[in-house]
Amino acid sequence: MKVAIANLFSRTDCERYPFNPKTAPAHYRGRLVFHPEGCIGCGICERVCSPQAISTTVVHEEDGDRITRVFHMGSCTFCQTCVDFCPRHTIEMSKDYDMVVTNEDDLKVMGTYFKAAKKPAPKAVEAAKPEEAAVKIETAADSAPKETPEAESAPKAE
Amino acid sequence: MFKKLIDDCTVKSPWIYHINSGSCNGCDIELVAVLTPRYDAERFGFKLVGTPRHADIIVVSGPVTSQSRDRLIRTIEQVPDPKVVVSLGSCPRSCNVFKGSYSVEGPLDKFVKVDVSVAGCAPKPEAVIDGLALAAKILEEKRRNMAK
Repeated sequence: MKVAIANLFSRTDCERYPFNPKTAPAHYRGRLVFHPEGCIGCGICERVCSPQAISTTVVHEEDGDRITRVFHMGSCTFCQTCVDFCPRHTIEMSKDYDMVVTNEDDLKVMGTYFKAAKKPAPKAVEAAKPEEAAVKIETAADSAPKETPEAESAPKAE
Repeated sequence: MFKKLIDDCTVKSPWIYHINSGSCNGCDIELVAVLTPRYDAERFGFKLVGTPRHADIIVVSGPVTSQSRDRLIRTIEQVPDPKVVVSLGSCPRSCNVFKGSYSVEGPLDKFVKVDVSVAGCAPKPEAVIDGLALAAKILEEKRRNMAK
């Protein structure tokens, strides 16, 4: 009887969630974060995604392509395969677990970037080796900007 | 007077009915975790009921399989208006990895309008609580619109 009365006025033992907001533990796989400025458009994330949650739309413009990648969180299994496969580490998983929406478009994580078209004539050697040109991007930016103008402008974000 | 009392009470205590339409059980476990003492959603009045006729909020988990489709539709029809449909996890939203399977007929919004979707695979219990709280708010709004 004494215990019953004491328990009546004691605090509950449950997680008092909405009043004590909780952060997810380390390495939690929550909402994706996409950094379009680093993306090289290889499309490996789209190929490895088992629930086909990643889609790409390409809009052709005069001097290149405007590429938009959409990561649909309502379709994601949070397996982290795209994060592991991305050669440029442009995809990250955040700790944001609170994905409660009434409108489906709020679940889409997207990023747009501009990929300049390769100029054909004078840089024919470089155009033949697109992989090398892509690797050069980081070093070319500070060392020799006038030699590789198109490689420099390739992965720029809007 | 009694009507006002009933209205106030139902706002405070929405009852949940849970349908598993071919889920892998991950989301179901998270929902049970929300209702059991650790997260204890019953302190907000959420209560799991055994029959759709008593329910206000329907929580659906799983991609809609061919086997469960007719039963799902029949069950949701039995829930009295106003009702709120909550999709739990990625599966009812988009069929997730089961997309294109011969035995999956989802996603859920082909059959019924989904009011709240909780994303995650499986969603964290905190996210489920937030989803249910949002569903309760929508339910209150719907009830007010019906009374007009």
